[in-house]
Amino acid sequence: MPSARATKRFLKFALVPLAIFSMVLVVPFANGFYLTFTNWDGFESSKFVGFSNYTKSFQDPTFWATLRFTTLFVVVSLILVNVVAFGLALIVTSKLRSRNVLRTFFFVPNLIGGVILGVIWQFIFNSAITSLAKKYGWTLFEQSWLNDTNKAFWALIIVTVWQSSGYMMIVYITGLISIENDVLEASQIDGASPLRTLLSIKIPLMAQAFTIALFLTLRSGFMAYDVNVALTGGGPFRTTELISMHIFQDAFANGNFGTGQSKAVIMFLMVAGAALLQVSVSKRLEVQR
Amino acid sequence: MKKFTKIGALALASALTVSVVAATSPASAATCAKRTNVTMLGTIKTEIKDQFQAAVKKYNTSQKCYTLKTIIGDSKLTFLQNITPMYAAKNAPTISYTLQEIPNMADKVLDLKNTKLAKLVSPGLLAAANVGGKQVGVPSTAEAFGLLYNKKVLDAAGINPASIKTRTDLENAFKTLQAKGKKAVHFSAIWWSLGAHFTNIYHASSAKTHEGRLAVLDSLSDGNKNLTTDPVWKNWLATFDLLKKYNGSEANLTDTEYDASITDLASGDYGFLFQGNWTEPNLMTAAAGTDFGIMNLPISTSATAYGNDSIPVGVPGYFMIDAKQSTKAEQAGALDFLTWLYTSAAGQHFVADPVTKGGMGFIPVYSGFKVQPATFMAREIAKYVAAGKTLEWINTYYPAGLQETVGKVSMQQYFTDKISSADLAKAIQDAWKGSTKTWRGESA
Repeated sequence: MPSARATKRFLKFALVPLAIFSMVLVVPFANGFYLTFTNWDGFESSKFVGFSNYTKSFQDPTFWATLRFTTLFVVVSLILVNVVAFGLALIVTSKLRSRNVLRTFFFVPNLIGGVILGVIWQFIFNSAITSLAKKYGWTLFEQSWLNDTNKAFWALIIVTVWQSSGYMMIVYITGLISIENDVLEASQIDGASPLRTLLSIKIPLMAQAFTIALFLTLRSGFMAYDVNVALTGGGPFRTTELISMHIFQDAFANGNFGTGQSKAVIMFLMVAGAALLQVSVSKRLEVQR
Repeated sequence: MKKFTKIGALALASALTVSVVAATSPASAATCAKRTNVTMLGTIKTEIKDQFQAAVKKYNTSQKCYTLKTIIGDSKLTFLQNITPMYAAKNAPTISYTLQEIPNMADKVLDLKNTKLAKLVSPGLLAAANVGGKQVGVPSTAEAFGLLYNKKVLDAAGINPASIKTRTDLENAFKTLQAKGKKAVHFSAIWWSLGAHFTNIYHASSAKTHEGRLAVLDSLSDGNKNLTTDPVWKNWLATFDLLKKYNGSEANLTDTEYDASITDLASGDYGFLFQGNWTEPNLMTAAAGTDFGIMNLPISTSATAYGNDSIPVGVPGYFMIDAKQSTKAEQAGALDFLTWLYTSAAGQHFVADPVTKGGMGFIPVYSGFKVQPATFMAREIAKYVAAGKTLEWINTYYPAGLQETVGKVSMQQYFTDKISSADLAKAIQDAWKGSTKTWRGESA
């Protein structure tokens, strides 16, 4: 039983953060949830409409197409970002002389804002690569990748990997350097090959880093918006719209605020579900030291 | 109701040709206790944002009562994306400016019927912002779109734009250009050009009367219009194919396309471009000393077919003044600024003088303009207007989001040969089906 004194002490420390948390997160979330049951038009709502916004959302074929596309994007970007990031982390924690320069070098793309990044890469895909391709006859690059659904998907993946693997690299570096040297030395004396050391010693001992990095990439995959808008703009033919952009378009371009908001709630449930599953699985793989 | 375009055209003609000495009293010379801040969302268009900001600066120093502040907003976002958060935050801009979203805004803005500005504009040019008898906005300018041409290139190839009266003539002109080693046309795949302007060529020619054209929208909304059997649709589609065939540029579906198309026409490698007169400032900046004209896009093979000799002229947007969240003083300031901009000598300089002189190069729609547009394209538009050769902007009545749905998906798919013409007709019919008939006064 918490005594009155304990409650008082709790409030003394937590009241301000709790109030801020409620104001910027709990209240808007509850209000948004409430609005999905009304006929909200972006400005005001006048009556309750039950679950009709949700039914309409699920009847929208473009919503299903977006969900499929987003899932594919999340899976592919999750794998590639983490493979590349882990690879980079291994390189920059090895005994290379240029490792500090390389760390900075790999991290820098993360400091560029998503929209600017999208615009730069749009230029690269539309103009820079195509004109080089025409000069040297690279048929794969002669047409802008952004004009084709499948290639535009890979363009999105390339830019995402380029942007976020540097950040995840930092997480993996932290994991790698937290492994005690004596364990590594012991394995060396026992004659373990570098590959065996990596698989049996390093990876299990830094499983925590994987939990964090996987969670972060999963979340950012589902929430990706700025690169999507600036790079492909959902094109060609609105086939590369990720879920965030789809919701934004539905609400703010077509003026369907009710369905847009209910799709956002559906997205929240999906992201929360996927994240919980991923964290509980990864936690089980972590070892206690 | 041919009257609709006629009245608009007549008023526009008089505004262009007759110069009436307007009583241009400087905006409220009275001294005020303190300055009121008045906000406006956007700068009308991004193309002339510097010139508009200069006008705002001039206005703020010209009087002591109001300070106008522009909120740039995000040009990548739609009007609704920009304005709804501001209303939700109880921080609505006093002046907003839009076209398609007028029905969404109608119950939130002032009735401007009895203002000095509204009385200076013809009913035809006010019509699109008249919702159930309430004048919710006043126009900024008139714009036209059609086939833009590089006069130097056409002159060198011996092509007289006035002699192109049918689709066959147009194809011959394209062939002549190609024979001279030029590229015939830059037909841009940018979504808003296809979704709003190119589709409007069909809608504006779909019937001879205003009422008839709205009836086409009715039947599309009711879901009983079959486009494939419509002869105007067939002509429009044949024109689409023709432009695709002679398109000298590669299809580019991203935002970089707009700038590229302007560069192409200005470079002198291309004869034609399907765009509007809002590109003229950019064209003139890119190729100083070259004249760029505008002409009709003939879709029929018969020279006398309705609309074949005309260009779509309309109001690209209306200014609205918030009635829900702004104070009386803010509303008065908003009206004062707009009145200053369009009726004072200083304001008119910014409105109608060409960009080379620091103005926005707008075609005046308010009577009593002392500054007249001087550019080649503006004069050409004036000639079309004076001759009554104008088409309506049916795209004004498109439901919010439709031009995006159609332009970004089906039109771009047909442009890049991903779907058949029958698919295109079906996609457009589906996009319209069940849409709110705002053109009949139904609320959005």
